[in-house]
Amino acid sequence: MNPVLELDIRFPPSEPRVEVDGFRLAEAEKLVLFGPNGAGKSTLLRVLAGIIHEAEVPAAAYLPQAPWMFRGTAGQNLDFGLSADGRVLARAVAADLGVNDLGLRARQLSGGEAQRVAIARVLARGEEVVLLDEPLAAVDLRDRAEVAGIIRRRLDGRAAVIVTHDRDDAAILGDAMAVMLDGRIVQRGPVADVFAQPVDEAVADVVGVANVLVGDAAEVDGSLVSVDAGDLRVWGLGDAPTGGSARAMFGGETVTILPAGSAVGSARNSWTGRIRDVRRLGRLLEVVIDVGHPIVAIVTPGAADALDMSPGAEVVVSVKATAVRVVGGD
Amino acid sequence: MGFLLEVFRDALSALSGGLGGDLGSVVWLTSWIAFVATGISVLIGVPLGTTLGLSEFRGKRATTVLVNTGMGLPPVLAGLVLLLLLWRGGPFGAWGILFTPAAMVLAQAMLAIPIAVGLTASAISGLPLAAKEQLAAFQLSPWNRGAVAVREVWPAVGGAVAAAFGRVISEVGAVLIVGGNIRGETRVLTTAIVQETRQAQFGQALAFGFVLLGMALVVNAGITWLQFKDAAR
Repeated sequence: MNPVLELDIRFPPSEPRVEVDGFRLAEAEKLVLFGPNGAGKSTLLRVLAGIIHEAEVPAAAYLPQAPWMFRGTAGQNLDFGLSADGRVLARAVAADLGVNDLGLRARQLSGGEAQRVAIARVLARGEEVVLLDEPLAAVDLRDRAEVAGIIRRRLDGRAAVIVTHDRDDAAILGDAMAVMLDGRIVQRGPVADVFAQPVDEAVADVVGVANVLVGDAAEVDGSLVSVDAGDLRVWGLGDAPTGGSARAMFGGETVTILPAGSAVGSARNSWTGRIRDVRRLGRLLEVVIDVGHPIVAIVTPGAADALDMSPGAEVVVSVKATAVRVVGGD
Repeated sequence: MGFLLEVFRDALSALSGGLGGDLGSVVWLTSWIAFVATGISVLIGVPLGTTLGLSEFRGKRATTVLVNTGMGLPPVLAGLVLLLLLWRGGPFGAWGILFTPAAMVLAQAMLAIPIAVGLTASAISGLPLAAKEQLAAFQLSPWNRGAVAVREVWPAVGGAVAAAFGRVISEVGAVLIVGGNIRGETRVLTTAIVQETRQAQFGQALAFGFVLLGMALVVNAGITWLQFKDAAR
């Protein structure tokens, strides 16, 4: 597939703060830019948006990090820069996001409401490339997954670069993920791979190690939902329509490794598998266990000593369902 | 004290007596010249100031220095230059507008435009970075982008309009030179004050001064009311 965007970036030109060679974005690709504060994520996005450093970039819909509400009503702010069709679409997206009173003064909106207006506005634009800088920063924690899901659906068919430093947001919004450190992209790959296999300690430190399992929502039990990823059934918190596609996410530090044959009590998620790989991750150990699907666990060396961690050894892996996050959608 | 009281009393009686019939025509001429000159300076100055405030280009600083110098342009110098341009035999002598209200409007607009440009540009430049970045993200036409920016800093732009009007209505040097202070034709409040003062008609002069102050008060009250009304939005 032809990339919709491809360029070398050096900004500022004299003293490279952000330096990325051959930045590519494929058609309809959703790329998450992940990294700590000051890594250059927003700067890179501004370059891609054509706001700074006149690079040859395609026209893009751009959501700045701090969306500004201008004088006037929420509705007037929603309309800025949109065609008549875009305005209709923006209202539909805003309603999805729970913004209903567009007659309010935009200045009186809360941070979360203002951000929703800005999200609806940018998603209603017609450009093929969408650039979102921390779209969920001002959204309440409990609404984040829902808002992220709406963004994901509305981006369907379009290419997007999304800046975030939140693991869950990255897993929901991205297909691919690029980790930025000190102005450079140090790792790029499918989101699940980057989370499960950071290239080095620095990346592991930034992203944390996490498991992302993609499959179909199977059963609902109270506030728990199960996701079938291949032969593996994972229970977690969240809501996803059964039968639809869903993702289950949990951090490597939430995984417990027990000797083979252990009784696991109330843990719904416990699987028997074999150790495939053990890697040192600073003072911790990263253990990959094959339970029909690779599961990554982060353990302390002390815990490892108590168990046979040699590759091929049989173990039981357990994860509390409350530590797993389930989100619907592709 | 007796002298001042006498002048004051003369001024009041001149006001109640209609300033010898001159007042109506002088106030009328002063008003329309000031409003037209302010209008021209706003129509030209606000778009120019907005452009200057929003754009980044080589020489922006130098341009800003020029504009700020223009804000302090000595009126008599502006009047003299305009006089030379409009003089019979000068480049625009054929227009034949010297010593007419048209020349006075031109002179006042010349003085007020840099004020409208400078104060608008400074208000727009003062927009927070987030606002400027969001404005760029909208990808509006230059005209619409400017309109949104002006609306955003409207109270400050209103201040620029008030300052331009203040400059225009209080100015005497330039209108005296290009207007000539011809009674019934080009006499405005400020030149009338000069005239009456020269003839030691202090009461008369002070009365014109009161009227001038009253006009400035009414216009500024109007602008301030609009600013406050909009401040909450």
